[in-house]
Amino acid sequence: MTNYFDIDDILAEDELVPATFREATNGVGLFDSTDDTNKVEPGSKVELPFWLAQELHLRQAVTVNVPPCFNKRTREEIDADAAHVDLRNRCPFFYELGYKIAPLVGDKTIGRVLLIAFRTRYKEVLIKAHTAAFEATAKFLSLLTEEEVKLYKAAQSSAIAFKKWRKGGPRFQKASVLGRKRKPIQ
Amino acid sequence: MYGKKASELVKEFASSEPGQLSAFNNDLFSQVLEECNGHLLHLQSLLRKMQEDGPDNQTSRNADHFGALMHHLSIVRNKRCLMAYVYNRAEVIQHLGWTIERVLPEEIEEKLSNPEKDYFKNHSATLQSYMSELDLDLAVDMVPPKDPYIKVRVLEEIGNVVLSDQFANLARHAILFLRRTDAEHYISQGLMEELSS
Repeated sequence: MTNYFDIDDILAEDELVPATFREATNGVGLFDSTDDTNKVEPGSKVELPFWLAQELHLRQAVTVNVPPCFNKRTREEIDADAAHVDLRNRCPFFYELGYKIAPLVGDKTIGRVLLIAFRTRYKEVLIKAHTAAFEATAKFLSLLTEEEVKLYKAAQSSAIAFKKWRKGGPRFQKASVLGRKRKPIQ
Repeated sequence: MYGKKASELVKEFASSEPGQLSAFNNDLFSQVLEECNGHLLHLQSLLRKMQEDGPDNQTSRNADHFGALMHHLSIVRNKRCLMAYVYNRAEVIQHLGWTIERVLPEEIEEKLSNPEKDYFKNHSATLQSYMSELDLDLAVDMVPPKDPYIKVRVLEEIGNVVLSDQFANLARHAILFLRRTDAEHYISQGLMEELSS
């Protein structure tokens, strides 16, 4: 289980997933409804954030459908060359959402897609993190999901730490919180 | 859409650099609280309606039931976002207590809300009293030194101070050898820098 206070988990659950209402629901002004009763008719197709869709799905009030980031086209692209698919644009929490949504929609193939994508991209991320010059990375970073960006940064900082350790140098540094805004020197 | 404002709040925290704080967003925070109150009103009115409809209707899966459920879930979600915002900021503030002792620089202090300021004060006071009880400074560098003295340059005028082994005039730009333990907290406050030999 993830931590209740985990920021990334909260944001991942904010991703929209398509859902279809199976039951009528009263008194929710979710959507620009046509009358004042704010009623949602059964059969309406809507996009709900995952945190809401999941709970409603468990109570059989809505049916969750597979989100567009796991559609056929994306799968084909991942099969072709996973390392260069723009996953960030599709869903910045691609893996987390896939992991959470798979049991709900009962699609067994999602797990395989996630695994292939992650395995191929993981290698690429590490190679780039250790070799690429800083200027060249911006374009590459824009393809990565949040989790991959974290991996990339971790790899990069360990490479930097290794270099620093080899060269030696000052151990003490100013507390990093103080670094940003310097008071103007009069 | 429900829960939008709350997730904006969380996003704002997520976008600030790790270990850094952005200003406490009182405005958005109270907007989310207001949203919760709105949900509560809706929830109560739906519950009342269900009660009026008769006892046989209460547990059944009717439209009011699901409406109430959605409002309930939204409140729970908003609560999680608010809690996470406060909790994660508190973690950062706790960490500040270890890196910079006792006094917060102005540019950080103005970003905290009042309870957070108290929290910092109390937390660092607790740390200090624990350390003085132990008679051990727990905030020093964890790696044992090769040499008890290091060479430092003073970056900002500090003046005459009594150090553990000497009186020193820490004038700006002076370069001197100090005990590591003396120099450490000046360096972490940005008043000195270590010169590698």
